[in-house]
Amino acid sequence: MTYDDYLAGKKVILTVATTGGVHGKDANLNLPEQPAEIARDVRECERLGASIAHVHGRDEYGENSAAHLQAVNDAIRDHCEDVIIQNTTGGQSAYESRVRGIRTDPPPEMASLDMGPFNRGQHIITEHTRHNIESLAREMRERGIKPELEAFNNGHLNETHRLIDLGLLEEPYYVNLIFGGGTFSMPSPRNLLNLVDNLPENAEFNVLATGRHQLPLTTMAVLLGGHVRVGMEDNLYFERGRPAENNAQLVERSVEVIERLGREIATPEEARSILGMD
Amino acid sequence: MVCPYLEYRTHDESHEFDHPRAYCGASEAFVSPMQADVCNDRDRFDHASYCSVYRRLVAEIESGDD
Ligand code: SF4
Repeated sequence: MTYDDYLAGKKVILTVATTGGVHGKDANLNLPEQPAEIARDVRECERLGASIAHVHGRDEYGENSAAHLQAVNDAIRDHCEDVIIQNTTGGQSAYESRVRGIRTDPPPEMASLDMGPFNRGQHIITEHTRHNIESLAREMRERGIKPELEAFNNGHLNETHRLIDLGLLEEPYYVNLIFGGGTFSMPSPRNLLNLVDNLPENAEFNVLATGRHQLPLTTMAVLLGGHVRVGMEDNLYFERGRPAENNAQLVERSVEVIERLGREIATPEEARSILGMD
Repeated sequence: MVCPYLEYRTHDESHEFDHPRAYCGASEAFVSPMQADVCNDRDRFDHASYCSVYRRLVAEIESGDD
C-alpha cells in the first residue's frame, strides 16, 4: 500500500467501530450499547459507505460482555444488507472470554487480533501473550475468519512479522495502525509514515486514531493508499467541545473527505476482494 | 466479591439514564464500562488490587487509624 495506490484510485475500506469496550453512555449518551441500538447505527453507517462493522458486546448495564456478541451479530444481520462483521477478541478481559468473539454462530467474517499487550489505567496490562495471540490466529484460520492485526505500537509490528514468519497468517495481511495515548503509537504524521514504511510485504493497512487525531490521521491514511476506521469507540466528539451525535455523523464526514481526495469507497463485496476474503 | 462502594443507579445530579449503571460511591461518579470490570471483580480483576480509588481510600483509612 503506497501513495501509488492513492494515485491509482484504489478504493477505501471504511470501518465503523460503533461502541468499543472503554466508554459508555456516561461519557456520551449517544454511544450505542444494546444490540438493537448498535445494529441501527451500523445500518445507517453501511448506508453511508461503511463496509466493516467492528463489534463489541455489552450487557443490560452497558458493561463489557463477550456473551452478548451473539445478540449483536444477530441484530446486525437482521438490520443490515451485507456489512462485514468484525468481532473483537481484544480488550482487558481473560482469554476465555475474548475467544468468544470467534465462536459466534455463524462465525464472523473478520475478527480483531491484538498483536501484543497495552496498558489500561494504573494497574492493568492486557493479557495478549504470544501464546494467546498464536492460539487465536490458529483458530481464526481454522474457522475461515480474516484477522485484522491490531498494531497498538511500533513493537507490535515486530510481532506481526513474527506471526507471518510462523506461517499463521494469510496474505494480504490487514494491519490496523493505532495511534493515541498511553502504550499506543504516539499520534503524529511522521510516526504514521514510519509505520507504513515498516509494514510487511503484501499488507493492506488501516488507520485508527483516538480522539482529535481521528480525522487528521485517517485523512493521511487516504493519501498513503490505506484504509480508514472511524466511530465512537475511538472518538466521542465530532469536533472540539461538540459530542458526536451518532456514528453516522463521523462516517459521513469521512466519506466526504475520502471522496474529496479522489478515492471511492469500497462496497462490502469490494472490501472482501481487497482483503482476499472472496 | 464486588467492591463495597459499587452501586447501580439511573441518575445523579448531571446524568439521567434509561437503565441502571455502575456508580462509584467513593468517587461519587458513574464509572466507565472498562472500570466496571474491576468494580465487579470480573475475570482476573479484583478491586483491592486493580482500583486506584479503592487503594487510595484504604491507604487513607489505614493511615487515619495509626
Ligand atoms: S471505582 Fe474503585 S472504589 Fe469505586 S466502586 Fe469501583 S472498585 Fe470500588
